Amino acid sequence: MSEGPQMVSLAGLSKGFGADDTRVEVLKDLDFEVEKGRMMAVVGPSGVGKSTLLHIIGLLDRPDDGRLELDGREVGGLGGEARAHLRNRMIGFVFQHHYLLDELDALDNVALPLRIAGSNAATARARGRELLESVSLSERAHHFPDQLSGGEQQRVAVARALAMEPDLLLADEPTGNLDRANSEAVFDLVRELHLKAGLTSIIVTHDEEMARKCDGIFRLAPAGENFDHV
Amino acid sequence: MSAELHLARRYLVGLRRRTHVATVTLISMVGLGLGVLALVVTLSLLEGFQASIREEIVARATHARVTPSEGRRLHDPAKLASVLQEKLGDVELVEVVRGTCLVSSFIDAVPASVIGRSDALEVGVDRILAARLQIGSGEDISVISPRQRLTVMGPLPVRAQAQVSRVVSPEPGSQEGSVRLPLEMAQRLLWGEAVVEAIELRDESDPWRLGARVRAALGPDADALRVESLEDLHRPLLLALAMERVMIFVAVGLMLVVAALNLLCNVAMVAAEKRVDLAVLAGIGLPPKALRRLFLLLGVGIGLVGSTIGAVVGVSTALVLDESGALPLPRGVFSFSSVPFRVEPEMVALVMVVALLLAAAASWLPSRMVARREPAEGLRYE
Repeated sequence: MSEGPQMVSLAGLSKGFGADDTRVEVLKDLDFEVEKGRMMAVVGPSGVGKSTLLHIIGLLDRPDDGRLELDGREVGGLGGEARAHLRNRMIGFVFQHHYLLDELDALDNVALPLRIAGSNAATARARGRELLESVSLSERAHHFPDQLSGGEQQRVAVARALAMEPDLLLADEPTGNLDRANSEAVFDLVRELHLKAGLTSIIVTHDEEMARKCDGIFRLAPAGENFDHV
Repeated sequence: MSAELHLARRYLVGLRRRTHVATVTLISMVGLGLGVLALVVTLSLLEGFQASIREEIVARATHARVTPSEGRRLHDPAKLASVLQEKLGDVELVEVVRGTCLVSSFIDAVPASVIGRSDALEVGVDRILAARLQIGSGEDISVISPRQRLTVMGPLPVRAQAQVSRVVSPEPGSQEGSVRLPLEMAQRLLWGEAVVEAIELRDESDPWRLGARVRAALGPDADALRVESLEDLHRPLLLALAMERVMIFVAVGLMLVVAALNLLCNVAMVAAEKRVDLAVLAGIGLPPKALRRLFLLLGVGIGLVGSTIGAVVGVSTALVLDESGALPLPRGVFSFSSVPFRVEPEMVALVMVVALLLAAAASWLPSRMVARREPAEGLRYE
């Protein structure tokens, strides 16, 4: 497997939902590693636990069992405040839906992680403008999400994910709601920013073509079955 | 401005962008606003009536009374009066005796209080006694004392014949009629000698503190004397007024509690509706404590806007009703011509603080719910 320093390292990870008879094991005894600086695609059939895996890596959810290390540090046992701090400083998220806040314009959405980190409004907005420029949306800074196209919304979401210059970018089917042209544009943008910023990226996708453009593909199989790591 | 304050403000300002959330929020604001309005108007009305009662007490009653701590007669009242006058300066000071006598007219005879005052130059009866005896100014009355004197015909009650010069207002809180006599006449009736039972004082400029000033003026002599302040003299009435205010505050304040429960439901609804937004906020690093603060700020923000509007409308309503005299009262029943309102700034501030505390309490439960949720829960079913 990989030989360089690991950004993400999972060992014996299990996660299920529900209780007793209705319990569904989604991930079972899963090992997973991503080397620093790589862009890894995670593929697999629907319901196999791709998003759940991403949520656990992104500290949005807790595993039932297993060990999770980010950048060599065990983070599975951290409390809510420490996890939030790591999400803010270390991890950028891009979701399938843009998940921009309707009440904020594009600029405020992008600047929000900086505001959460404690930056003042002026600094956060200045950085937000730079980021919007990097995704070619400076002229849309004061548009609200419902005034942007799907592709633009997703580009704003990418800009927001990179606001804190994270080490790790997690994208959950970032082009799932876009047409072909927009999908390619958003993926190329993510790829470009990944290379430019030297990020480690994990991208959940159904799109084989897109997966092939990544540095590696992790094929997730239903819990208990084998999976491939290409 | 912290991120959560920025977000709470944008949520409140941005509510117009989401009709459903905006509607429930508006309902919460209106609920709290109406509660505050009702409380402010009701308490202003109550304060108006109570202030009138207090003003009447101050205008007509004794502000402080000095009596002997043992027995009924004051030792050397002239000296005591002179000491008080010297130390207290410009206060009204009256020597008084009191007792109960049978007062009769041609129509009827009833027991009544007899008050002999050194400042009374003529005989007066209060309206209660005048009504009972069916008399007015210029008519004769007999005042028959329980004290007896021995005559050739055996013991006979001491009595005095007098002409009523005027009909006066009864003493505040008095239920039985009274007759006011010059001090010497009352002393003859009640004691048969120049006894003074009390020195009563009035100070229009500072009536509520006169009792304390008298105690201070008397110094060590106060031990042999009993000094009653205005508050002591009317304690049951003042206590009843205070109790009335508390009970009305609690009863009408229940409206605020209902409004706060409504706010709780609405904030919980916003929390459910904004589930994904909250998960995303947590995802980009907003800590659980900040999420909790965000919802507290939302609740308090709704409370602040609602209660401020309610207070402004309530205060304006009370002032307009008071100034315009739009609610007239029957003359003869009340001493004022229209329903009085009096707005006390402290009372308005208290109502607003209570409304804000209730709003904060109402948002506490949803805020706790939101803060405990794992961010992925909000995203999972989307």
